[in-house]
Parts: sequence; C-alpha cells; structure tokens
Amino acid sequence: MPESGLVEVGFVAPDGGRAVRRVRIERGASLLDAAQAAGVGMDATCGARGRCRSCRCKILSGDVSPATMQDTLQLGHEEVQERFRLGCQTRPVTACEVMALPPKSEAGHQILTGAGPAGAAVMDGAGFTLDSGVKKHVVVSNIPREEHHQTSDLAEVLAAVDPPPDRRVPLAVMRKIPQELRKRRGALTVTTFNRQVIDVEAGDASEHAYGMAFDIGTTSIVGTLMHLETGEELAAVGSVNPQTVYGGDLMSRIAYAQFDEKKLVTLRAKVLNAVNGFIKEACANAGVSPGHVYKIVVVGNTCMHHVFLGVDVTYVGLAPYAPAVSDGIVVAAGELPLKAAPNAQVCLLPIVAGFVGADTMACVLATRIHESGALRALVDIGTNGEVVMGSKDRLMACSAPAGPALEGAQIRHGMRGAMGAIEDVRIDDDVHCGVIGQAPAAGICGSGLIDACAKMVGAGVMDASGRMRPRHRDRLPAAVGARLRTTGTGAEFVLVWDADAGKGEDVTLTQGDVRQLQLAKSAIYSGIVMLQRVMGIGDADLAELMLCGGFGNYINIESAVTIRLLPRLPRDRITYVGNAAHLGAQMALLSERERIRAEELVHRIEHVALATHPEFQDIFVDGMAFEGPRSDRPERAAGNARSAAG
Amino acid sequence: MTEPVLQIPEGWEARAPEGWEWQTLWEAVEEGDHRYAHERVEQAIEANIDPRTILDDGLFPGFTLQGDRFSEQIIFIPEMLITARAMKTGLALIRPLLAAQAEKPVGTFVMGTVLGDMHDIGQSIVTIMLENAGFNVINLGTDVHPDRFIETARAEQADLVGFSALLSTTVYYQKVTIEEFVKAGHRGKVKILVGGAPTTQEWADECGADGWGRDAVQAVKLALALVKQPRETWA
Repeated sequence: MPESGLVEVGFVAPDGGRAVRRVRIERGASLLDAAQAAGVGMDATCGARGRCRSCRCKILSGDVSPATMQDTLQLGHEEVQERFRLGCQTRPVTACEVMALPPKSEAGHQILTGAGPAGAAVMDGAGFTLDSGVKKHVVVSNIPREEHHQTSDLAEVLAAVDPPPDRRVPLAVMRKIPQELRKRRGALTVTTFNRQVIDVEAGDASEHAYGMAFDIGTTSIVGTLMHLETGEELAAVGSVNPQTVYGGDLMSRIAYAQFDEKKLVTLRAKVLNAVNGFIKEACANAGVSPGHVYKIVVVGNTCMHHVFLGVDVTYVGLAPYAPAVSDGIVVAAGELPLKAAPNAQVCLLPIVAGFVGADTMACVLATRIHESGALRALVDIGTNGEVVMGSKDRLMACSAPAGPALEGAQIRHGMRGAMGAIEDVRIDDDVHCGVIGQAPAAGICGSGLIDACAKMVGAGVMDASGRMRPRHRDRLPAAVGARLRTTGTGAEFVLVWDADAGKGEDVTLTQGDVRQLQLAKSAIYSGIVMLQRVMGIGDADLAELMLCGGFGNYINIESAVTIRLLPRLPRDRITYVGNAAHLGAQMALLSERERIRAEELVHRIEHVALATHPEFQDIFVDGMAFEGPRSDRPERAAGNARSAAG
Repeated sequence: MTEPVLQIPEGWEARAPEGWEWQTLWEAVEEGDHRYAHERVEQAIEANIDPRTILDDGLFPGFTLQGDRFSEQIIFIPEMLITARAMKTGLALIRPLLAAQAEKPVGTFVMGTVLGDMHDIGQSIVTIMLENAGFNVINLGTDVHPDRFIETARAEQADLVGFSALLSTTVYYQKVTIEEFVKAGHRGKVKILVGGAPTTQEWADECGADGWGRDAVQAVKLALALVKQPRETWA
C-alpha cells in the first residue's frame, strides 16, 4: 500500500440521503480535515484534540486507521465496534464513505441578535443623542469651465461643502467624482465622516445613511443594520462564528494561529467572509444599498479583534497576555478589506486587556456602569467571562476564564443551546427535563447543566462538594435513585432514558461533567469575589449585578445562585441586561460621543490579573463547592475525643 | 471499579502517646479542613510525636485515600485541591523538623509551569505529592523561562524535571524547553516529565519527554520509576 498520495473520502448526509460530497485528501490527513476540505459541517469544539464528541462520525465503507484511546474514551467500546469514530482522530487508509453526524443541529442554535428590551430602555435614556459622525451634505457644486484659470473637480466639490471638509480624500472617492459631478449638473450628495469625505453621489441621496454594529464573539457573530439618522434597526443577522471549525474555545483558536501566519490568514478570511456576507444579507433584507453603509462598529474579544484586523495573536495566548494594539481604531473598509461596504469607515472599540476586550468595553458603555452612583457589577458569563465592578468613582475589571464547559464542551453529552438540548431540569419523585424545541433530548447545554446541578444538590443526588453518592441512592425517591449509577468510568446520573432521547442512548450527567462545571463556575464566582475583595465591597454594597451576553439570557438565576456561580444577592438585585456588547456597539455606531467616550473610559478601568493575585487560589478552591465553606464546625470542638465516623 | 478505603497505618498506637487518636486528622485531610489539620498537627508536635510519625501516621492516610480516589476519578480537582491544601498546612509545620533529621531524598525534582503560562494549581498538587513521596522538589512557580529550568537543574544537579502547561497556547513551550535542554547538552542528565490538561501521551512522545502523567498520582508513580533509570551524571 502506498504511504503517500491521495485518498478519496465521500461524505453522506446524516439523513442517509444520496447527496455525497467527495473530496481527495492527502493520506495521513484526518476525516475532520477531509470534512473541512469538502465543506461538510463538522465541528472541532475541543480543537481536534479528541476531547469531545463534536466530530463524531460513522464509517460506512472503506478502511480507516485503528481507533485511538480518545475514540474509545469519548465514544465507548461499543460505538467504536460499530465503526463510530472521532473525525479528528481518524485517518482514512483506503477510499471510504463516512456519515458526518453533527449531533448539534446548527438550525435553532440560540443566538441573541437584537439588543432586547433592556437595550431600548438604555437607548431612550437621558443624554443619548444621535450623532453618528456621518453627514450627508446635499450641495450644488460648480463644474470646472474655465480653461485659463483651471480648478479641479475635487476642489469645486470640496468648496461646495460647509463646513469645509478635510482636503485629503480617499482614492476611491476621487475616482468617482468626475462622473458623479456631471450626472446631475453639479447636484451632489457629499458624505463625510468626521469631516473626511467618504462618498460622493449625484443628486440627493441624503436619506440613505446606514451603519452596522457587529459583535464578533468566539462562538457567534451578530450584527444589526441601522439607519444612522433615525437610529432605527432595519435588519438583524447572525450565525455561528465560522472559525469554530478551528477550535471551539478561544485558546484553541489562538493555538491554531500561533506562530503561523498562514493560519492567521485562514481565520481572518473566515471572519471577513462572514461579515461581508452579513452586510449583503442585512442590506438585502432591508432593501438598501451596501454602498450606503458608511460606518461599521465592531466589538469583540481581543483575539477576535486582532484576527479581524489580521494582527498576530500569538502573544495574546501567552502570559502576560498583552494585546498587540489596544486603542480605538478607525480604518477604511477597503483596507481590511471589507468589500461588501466599500464606503464604510470601520471603527473598533478599545481593548482593556488581553482577556478584557472591546466587547467588555461595549458592555460598559451600554450599561452605563461608569455613570452609576451606586456600586454595580457587570458579569459576562462565557468561555472567557469578564467581570467589571464599580461606579462613577472607580472601575475595575478582570477576566474569568471559565472554559468551554458552559457551552457544553468537555461535557459527555454536552451541546450548545440548540434544538434537542436539555435547558431546564426539575426533580420531584422523578426527573423532568425541559428540552429546546420540545424535541427528543440529544444532550445538555450550559444552562441545563447549571439547572441540573442545582436541582441535583437540592434533591440530594449529590452533596455540596459536587460528589455523587450512588451508595446512598436508597435515600432518594425510587425513580430518582434508579437514575444514579456507577459505571466503569465513575458515577453518573441519567437525565433522560434512552427511550425518550434523540440519540438512542441515555442522556447522562457524569461525575466528571459536574467537576467541569465546578471549575467553570468557580472561575466566574472567583472573578466576582476577587474584585469585591480588591475594592473592599461586600455583597450588601452591590446595588445590582447585571448579567450580559447570550448565555445570561438562558440561565436560571436562582439555580446559578444555588450552585454559587453568582453571589447570594437578593433576587431583585440580579438583572439580565441583554446582549450588552452588541448594544454598546450600536451606541458607538449611532453616537460618536459614545465611541469617543469609550476611548477615554478605557484608561479609567483598572485591570486585575486574577492568576497572579496571592489570594486567588484560595478563593478559587472555595468557589468550587456548591455551598460556602463550613469553617468552625461545631463537631470539631470535640477534637481529640471525637469518634470515628462512617 | 473498587472504591479505595482508608489504609490505617499498622501499629500507629505504639508510636503515639497513650489515648492519642489520628482519626480526626485523617478526616480533616480527607475533607480538606486545613484549619483543623493545622490545629491537630500543632497538638501532635506539642505532644512530642516524632515528625516522621506525624507525616506517616497522621497526614498520609487521608491524603493517600484522596489521591487514590482522585486517580479513580471518584473525586476531582476541587476536593484534591482542598485536601492538598490541608496536607500542605500540616506539612509546613513539620517540614523544618523533618529537615533537622536530614533524611536522604529519593531524588531532586525541578518543577514549574512553562513560559507564558500562569497556571499554578496542577503543578502545586504534583509538587506536594512528590514531596510526600520523598523527593526534594524545587518549585520554580509559573511562567518559567527555559534558561531558568536549565540553570536550576544544573545548580541542584536535578534527577528529574517537570514542565506543566495548562493552555493549548503554551504546551508548545514544553517542546521548546526540552529542545533547550538538548542544546545545552543536559538532556541526558535528567528525566523529563510533562503534564497538564491539554497534554497527551502522544504529545509527550512528540515533544521528546520521557514521560507523561495523566494526573498527579500517575506523575508521582512515573517519577519514582524514572528516578531509578540510568542517566548521565552532572559535574
């Protein structure tokens, strides 16, 4: 058998239909590589390390490399026997046919596009004025007529605008002037952004001034098209970030592009293509011309921000995680290039720190925590969570790296919040699960995980340390106890029996899953506690804890407090403020005052590095339990005389 | 899967004063109650119990039990950490007394988290476990430059070196650091272990390490095996 050369892989659709996509790949490449080359949707949430099941597939024919340890660990012996494999671990040996089984249906993936009701309230708040910086001047310009005392087209156009714009005009505008100037005998609409001419059109086109606000997240990208004069939202777009195939979490994404310029280019192309597509889609939906999109505000974490600009992210992934650039940036769309909106000025909000990015800055703008008289906290729960705390007097921020568990990664039956995901759990005499889309349960998403753990602690399925106790199942109601079992890999709890599940196997929560959640939630909790310590703020001093980001919308706040993901504040002091990053981007889009404010504010936010803080480890360890530390135990008072306990 | 049980040290009564009990300390370490562990170890020192006995009879049983459970995945990092913290608290009290008795260590182990990585918890668990196993551990902390690993290994005439990396962006420096040992001409003088969440046996092979520990317990077993293997001598 030849060691090198090409091998053909055919991908069959999961519904068993005839559509087969064939691709020839280098021998030695994985099925995941083949799927990516063939344009077949196969996720690599763990970064192709064999640590999750997102690239699970079935070999229908042909020979592939033997199952690896990762295949067996993730899929189990039986599935491996039935020729299920992890795409990232498996290399075709001969031509083969493969069924890609994306267990996570992207259709129905919950993405928060609009800013939500909280957004409108902030927008309507006092002090917000529409001032996008984009002005359309309807003028009648002279057309050069004198040969003797010659002027130029450009000079005539500039002279017609009041106040006089910057004389440096982009090349693209220069190229348009001769034709546009003469189409309507000098009647023109000249568009400026902060005194720079960015477009020239014949006639009166003053109605058409649009802008877009984008929040580029590690997992998803959302954008809105807005009318710059009225502030009206005209269209909303969004989808999964197409870079996800190169690693689900931020660090995998950075690791992919680290020390490798070509891979950075690949990531950048993915995001630029997506954004270009969204611009076209939003404009088509709203029936406007992409040429009339004049301002685009982009926010995102530091990695997304850098990749969007094509700036090396290598050192963002290494301590001290410093960003390559942090100030606010304005760049012409053509420079990126963002071809779909050729006349736009693209504005990126400033970055606070390597893991406190422009998205956090946008959240600050949107929630106006910098104007608050009372002390408030702003918490973005996510793979790379952020916490901002303070008031108009002082603001502090930290990143709280929860890891991808809250997005369902590294959880045995974890999935994103899509159709078929368990999102809430109730335990009485038995277990009752709420599933997104009322579909058969296919797995559990982050919000379901939080709810399940809270209810399992409440019902006594596990103790406050997070340990499941199968030997104590007799103390539980029979139907609940029957779900708690010990397998070869440890304890697990059946949430949905196979008969009701979408995958034909029990949907369980394993002891290991609970541990992953504990690490994740303690990271967020520790971030909050750490800022409280540094600022000397008790729970009672916090007037409000604002949850933002897509995830905050779906979690059961009571459950989040129960498991100590959030501090034990009265329920009415914890609020959900919507997709604040996107809202902040919209504010910066509609108001230059807000955008400039961000550039000043960023210097006022003090960054606290958790990992280097001496107290952090203790706070983090304490934060892992589902209940607070029980210091000064009464039973210890007996000390030396205490008898052995069972 | 068999559930690990507490191994009660044989004949402990003979090594302790009349009426003494260790059960509460075993439990304190097992449950990670570091304040109580501190209190009990202080009492034991006051009662003139031999420091080696305090370690073996008082601190080890609860710690070993948790270590076994950790290895079996019955308990996970949170409990292992709080147990390690309780263990560390007790160990801190008796370490000066043990040093005075000057026992010969099993070997010298230079430990640290690689350049660019600030994660401390994993390597500190491994450090405590290695110390318990009798190693003289020089812990360089986090974000350690390859040169510092090399200088320390040379100065301490280390037998083993361990590189921890917890980020997919920093495992790269495990390989870099090993390459630096090769360039410095010291690779044959030490056994090198790598570990951390993103690492695998395949990675350990690829980056040229001598071994990979899936968890702290495995790392210690591996270290005890590797320290017996022949190496070039320092000097």
